[in-house]
Amino acid sequence: MKKLQFLCQIALLSGIYYLGNKLALLMGLPIPGNVVGIVLLYALLNLGIVPLEYVQDAADFLLKHLVFFFIPVAVDLMNWGGVFYRYGLMLALAIVISTVLTFLGTGYLAQWLQRGDATCPD
Amino acid sequence: MPRLMILFTILLTVGAYLLSKALYLRYRHPLLNIVLLGAALVIATLLALNIPYQAYLPGRRIMTSLLGPATVGLAVPLYRQRSLVRRHAPAIVAGVGLGSLASMLVAGLIALMAGLPREVVLSVLPKSVTIPFAVEIARIHGGSPGLASAFVVATGTLGSVFGATLLTWAGIRHPVARGLALGTGAHGQGTAMAFMEGEREGSMAGLAMTLAGITTATLAPLMVRLLLRS
Repeated sequence: MKKLQFLCQIALLSGIYYLGNKLALLMGLPIPGNVVGIVLLYALLNLGIVPLEYVQDAADFLLKHLVFFFIPVAVDLMNWGGVFYRYGLMLALAIVISTVLTFLGTGYLAQWLQRGDATCPD
Repeated sequence: MPRLMILFTILLTVGAYLLSKALYLRYRHPLLNIVLLGAALVIATLLALNIPYQAYLPGRRIMTSLLGPATVGLAVPLYRQRSLVRRHAPAIVAGVGLGSLASMLVAGLIALMAGLPREVVLSVLPKSVTIPFAVEIARIHGGSPGLASAFVVATGTLGSVFGATLLTWAGIRHPVARGLALGTGAHGQGTAMAFMEGEREGSMAGLAMTLAGITTATLAPLMVRLLLRS
């Protein structure tokens, strides 16, 4: 019984994902279907159309093992060895500089906007 | 025979996942990345057994079929934290928005100026967001999902090793700001680090990770047109 419930939850998540893909396609949006799917599920939860109990066991299980799904994707790197050999230094520069600026940009702006917050450790 | 190959590649990938996860849980070092370690194990085995990449594809398709539904499931933690979202809305929206924009713009500009091929530039744009978003954003705009996932892991590793130190050095001490920066700049890997700092940092980072994915996906078409109009 528990197993069947779990499978139904997976089916529901898959259905919303499918719907997200269809919606993105229908509206001609250059936005991934999984993004539309998240917004859709968030809206359905907020509107109370889908209660949390209908999806949370499957969602928690899949998210716990989310990293597993990334491995087959990263195996594609088999075909890309040359890129790192040829452009490694420039890629490293692009990644390091943009990451440092992202951290500082988000961090400073968020801290400045939270300056009135009483929980600030200062 | 092809069925046997599918079974083998799936078992190999599951084995690689379990092994690299066990190693990570044992040493908890940010350089022991489960994705890279797992993929390296799979690639090394395929190469050693002379199995071509094409033979891995059918199994890959089966294994990644649940990635989409799993990603949709990210709405669940977002919904559970909705009161936190409402309370810190301005910092979240502005912080995540600026970070996502800066990440794409700076990485894209440097890659473009360095003369990297178009496909590589398009794969580096979504490097700050978690893999399921990054691979889709890259794919839609003509980049490579495999390359995008490697850039995502490189960014996450960098952020999880140096991110907290950088924030402290820069005087960013507010837990909400630290969590948002770790999640926006280094997705899931940054979120893991944020949870080591505390519950509030971790929750904010988790939110930021999902919202940065949505923001980046929404802004990517504009950014691609801006950087690569041709």
